[in-house]
Amino acid sequence: MSRISDAITDLHKMDMEAGKTGWLQGIHPLPKLLATLFFIMLTVSFGKYELSRILKMGIYLIVLFVIGDISVKLLLKRMKAVLLLVCLIGIANPFFDREPVFWLGTAVVTKGMISAATLMIKGIFAVSASYLLMVTTSMEDLCYAFRKLHIPKLFVTILMLVYRYIILFLKEIERMTDAYMLRAPGQKGIHYKAWGTMVGQLLLRSMDRAQTVYDSMMMRGYNGEFYLRCKKKACGSDYLYAIIWSAVLTCIRVM
Amino acid sequence: MSILEIENLSFTYGNMREKFRNHVLSNLNIRMEEGESVGLIGENGAGKSTFLKILTGLLDMQDGKVQVSGLEMKKDNLKKIRAEIGYVFQDSDSQLFMSTVYEDVAFAPRNYGRSERETQKASMSALKLVHMEDKKDRQIYRLSGGEKKLAAIATVLAVGTKLMLLDEPSVALDPKNRRNLIHVLNELPCAKIIASHDLDFVFDTCDRVILLADGKVAADGDTKKILTDRELLEGHGLELPLSFSRNR
Repeated sequence: MSRISDAITDLHKMDMEAGKTGWLQGIHPLPKLLATLFFIMLTVSFGKYELSRILKMGIYLIVLFVIGDISVKLLLKRMKAVLLLVCLIGIANPFFDREPVFWLGTAVVTKGMISAATLMIKGIFAVSASYLLMVTTSMEDLCYAFRKLHIPKLFVTILMLVYRYIILFLKEIERMTDAYMLRAPGQKGIHYKAWGTMVGQLLLRSMDRAQTVYDSMMMRGYNGEFYLRCKKKACGSDYLYAIIWSAVLTCIRVM
Repeated sequence: MSILEIENLSFTYGNMREKFRNHVLSNLNIRMEEGESVGLIGENGAGKSTFLKILTGLLDMQDGKVQVSGLEMKKDNLKKIRAEIGYVFQDSDSQLFMSTVYEDVAFAPRNYGRSERETQKASMSALKLVHMEDKKDRQIYRLSGGEKKLAAIATVLAVGTKLMLLDEPSVALDPKNRRNLIHVLNELPCAKIIASHDLDFVFDTCDRVILLADGKVAADGDTKKILTDRELLEGHGLELPLSFSRNR
């Protein structure tokens, strides 16, 4: 399977996982979103040398991975590009901040190394928390929760449409690359001379597909807003989930 | 009562200069009654898709008069007209954009301001009409081609469509799904315009056929009469339906 097919399949699988009937999936999206935002906010609030303290925040992720029966391997596979990017953020710190903190045998551990590791952990934790939210909440439910938090409807609509169009866009790329590869056997990728034409064609085709989707929406009374509904009404236990996590995470933060 | 009345409808693509103009439809006069099922046939470029897009307001009208359910086609009436007309696109993948079947079917009733209870009732009865009620929670991408087509039909039925327009509905369907679609369409009480090159499909689903040629109505009448007229069909770039040509 091509990498594009893999990407499409992964997106579909994430949609499917979010639609499962697990305990974590059953929690109302708003408390889940609030807990995730709170976790990310607290995680990034740690100082740049507080590596040992920030690691304790991992308890949130471990618990969710376990109770949600979510594969860490899949997270690493799906988010590898983002995680790699996140890991590169603090890569230059050891070169600029060389003040030694302690020695490990003959190797010196500098403040720069610790700040780089802290930044890396912050990024990994934030990406993992977002991933956990995405695989346990459908895009519609997530957008519903955003609207409940009074995120502007324009932003939410764009998010919704971008998510849908990404799949159409990827399918279009797949179709074009398949057609190209079938007529260019033995070639490793698309020849640079064809890039211009391919990109131009891709743009035109994507616009065409996007227009059809838009026409379909207009035909069904779309007036600029997705009227999102959540299958489940939020009850006390849902908000208890957010409250308990807020309390636990706050304790970890201040301890 | 007439569901659709068209008088002197003309449409042109291109700019103002005559030599760059492409007259797609000229002086069409068509009238359709409630519950009627009409097949729209014609060779490629005859104006079938343009005609359907004008009826839905996706293309702006230029000349003539169109009335849907007594409502004149103009910008102010567009929302009301679109609640009466449903358009099933050729490519179901582009028509279905929500994550699950139910969410897609419920999209239109919600946009028309129905309460959640009404939306649920309308969506479930639309799904029942196409025999898809047991697949309501299924992800769109997990549907087969035939199921996607039925789901697309349900999305337009959910608002109580009185006139359904279908653009090449039988394309890419296997014989079983095609037969199932014919069965479902024949059960639907609303009026239908089915634009198709699949003349056997038209024969099985329509009681009246309109043959478009060069943007004009070349023939309008009983399905069997038109679809068995070899001279008429071949004269307009079509052929007898396979079932008839095989019998001869």
